[in-house]
Parts: sequence; structure tokens; C-alpha cells
Amino acid sequence: MSPRGQVAVLALAMLAAPAAFAHHSFAAGYDGEQQVTLTGKVAKVDWANPHVHFTIDVTGDDGKVTPWRFEGYPTNMLVRQGWKRDETLKIGDTVTVFGWRARSEPNLGAARWVTWPDGHKLAAGPPAGTGGR
Amino acid sequence: MKNWSRHATTSALRTAVLLGALAASIAGAQSAGNTARASDKPVPRVNGKPNLSGTWIPGSTLLLFEGEESVAAARAYDTAHGRAAPPAPEPPPYQPDAEKQRQYYLGRKGIDDPMARCLLSGVPRIMFRPLPFEIVQLPNRVIILYEIHHAFRIIPTDGTPHPDDAEPSYLGDSIARWDGDTLVVDVTAFNDKSWLQGVGTVHSEQLRVTERYTRDTFETIRYEVTIEDPATLTKPWHMQDTMRLRPNERLREYECIESNEDIGRFEELLKTSDFK
Repeated sequence: MSPRGQVAVLALAMLAAPAAFAHHSFAAGYDGEQQVTLTGKVAKVDWANPHVHFTIDVTGDDGKVTPWRFEGYPTNMLVRQGWKRDETLKIGDTVTVFGWRARSEPNLGAARWVTWPDGHKLAAGPPAGTGGR
Repeated sequence: MKNWSRHATTSALRTAVLLGALAASIAGAQSAGNTARASDKPVPRVNGKPNLSGTWIPGSTLLLFEGEESVAAARAYDTAHGRAAPPAPEPPPYQPDAEKQRQYYLGRKGIDDPMARCLLSGVPRIMFRPLPFEIVQLPNRVIILYEIHHAFRIIPTDGTPHPDDAEPSYLGDSIARWDGDTLVVDVTAFNDKSWLQGVGTVHSEQLRVTERYTRDTFETIRYEVTIEDPATLTKPWHMQDTMRLRPNERLREYECIESNEDIGRFEELLKTSDFK
């Protein structure tokens, strides 16, 4: 689905979502105005509720490697969207993560999408400003 | 006699074959019908009432729970069954002091949310979480099991009154009665530590919640809530959602503390000026 289509679907879902308030506030921990898109190698995956966490090593133009840590959905939600522990996101995979920066730490983010080199993409966390986390 | 017998036997065989073919045809048609129109199954009933038993997910959380395809499927189902979408949410009709509190919490970006600290959600907030719950309908009670918080509500339907010794609690005390085909649940004895639904939606211990569960199709429950609290609201606050059946779903373990970094992170953030 195109990005425009995703936005449209999300807008429709929000319109029809009288009760889709936050599990807890996204805004408390993350800045929805500060998007990040980073590509790196998966270095660690902590598969647990109420948030999955994973780390990717991002190599900068100068060759310096910076670990970025991301938080996402509960694993209980990931499995219902097709994720499998130890299979979907593997150590050493190169992935691109789209999300938003944390307020508390410089290299921490809330993951929304993870995209693999073959183009397939999975939701890793909720849209900014909503819940489910 | 012999000829008649042979004729009778032949006729009986033919009749049996014909009946068998007819039965197979009907069964096949029903099977095809079930496949093509599975969503038209009637609302199941037990003891003269709709059976609410099953595993359900709030329709408003489908995008988060299962993704975009389930949102589209739900829309198609509702259209096919002439179901209207739940009305747009009402803002809480707060008295000035309560609205001031809500604005305070909104200004702090929701960092004070009790649920972020894994405290129990109250009613109705627990009904709107993007994780499933299971309803078990028994002759004298309805039990609701929630994946989130591993919480439960045991709701008598046999006329049992609220207990005299109910301590104020997050989920309160629930009793129910049937109003026609709608289960009406009366919830009282709340503490004032939870949020009703959304950031800063405070309430007092005078809170009373009335829930109405109507299984209006095989796959849906119309869930309507009326919230009354004379200490914080100017009038009853109404909200509605569609609970959607998930027949192949099961409740899973959900440990809320294990990787909840928000508790420590929020404490650190609260030391900064952003949240003051």
C-alpha cells in the first residue's frame, strides 16, 4: 500500500475509533515531530511485554557505528500481526526503521515500521499520538 | 409376490438413493451457504438470552491489534449487515475543576498515566485496550477475563446485589440484569485512582458506570457506556464501541512489568522542566 493509502486508512480508522485513546501517552516519552529513518544491522532483540525493544547498529558516513535502540508494540500484539520471535527480526538482519525520537535519550526511538531489504515491511509499533503500547 | 417384492425392493432402493441425493444436495447447499455466508450465522442463544461467550477485541483498536486488513474487513461486515459506525466520541462533560485537572495532565503529555505504571485500568477504560478479552456466560453470572493486566470481573446475573463490604477498587463491583436481549451491568465501588478513558480523565469515588452489551450480530457486540459522577461531571458521559468476535483467538500471558521502561524513564523526565 502506498504511503498515501496508509495515511488514508489510518485517517479512516481514527474517524471510526471513538475509543482509540492511548494505552499510555506516546507524547510523554516520544516527540511525534521528530521523525527518524535509520538503516542498520540488528544487534539485539528483547522480546517481551509490554514493549519489544531492539537495537540496530547504524554506520555513519564517517564509518562510526552508533547503536540505536527502538521500542515497539507488546509482543502480544506483534504475534497477532505475523511476527515470530527469533524468526522475523534476526540478529544480523539489515533493516530500515522508521519512527520517532525519544525525549529522554539521544539514540532511543519509538519504532513504527521495519522494512527489510526485499521490500517487505511490518508495523513494529503504533502511530505517533496513539496508544497500543 | 416375488415380483412385487423385487419391485418394492427396487423402489425402496430408488427412494433411498433419491433421498440420499436430496439430503446430500441440501447438505451441500448448506455447506456452500455456510462458506459463502458464514457471517450470516444467527446470534447464538443460551437459556433464552443471547450468548455473549467468546473472545472479543474492541473494534476501535483493530488497526493497532491486527493491522489495516482487519479494519477493512470490519467495515465490509458492518456495511453488509447495515450496522452504523459508533458515534464520534464525546468530550468529557467535566465541571470546571475536573476539566482543569484534565488540562493539567494533558499539559504534562500524559506522563502521569496510571496505566503506564502497570496499574489496573478501571471501567470502562479496560474495555478499550487493544488486547482481547474473553466473556464466559454462565447461568448465574458472566465472567470477563482480560489479557491486559490479567484482570477479571465476575458479574452476577441472578439478582445478587452489590456487597455491603465492597472496598473502593480500580474495577469496582459489577452486577448485571437482562433488559430484553441486552445485558446491563451496573458498576460501583470505584477508587479514584484510574482514568476513565483518555489522558487525564479523572473521576471520584462517586463514579457509577452502566454498561450495555447487545450482541446485535453473530460477530459483534454493541457496547454502550454511561458514566455518572456527580463530583466531576455536569451530566452523564456516553461512549460506544463495537466489540468484534475473534473465534480463533486465545488469551495469552501479558506481563506488564518485565520490559516496562517507562516507569524509570518517566521518573527521569519528570526531573526536567518539560513536565512541570
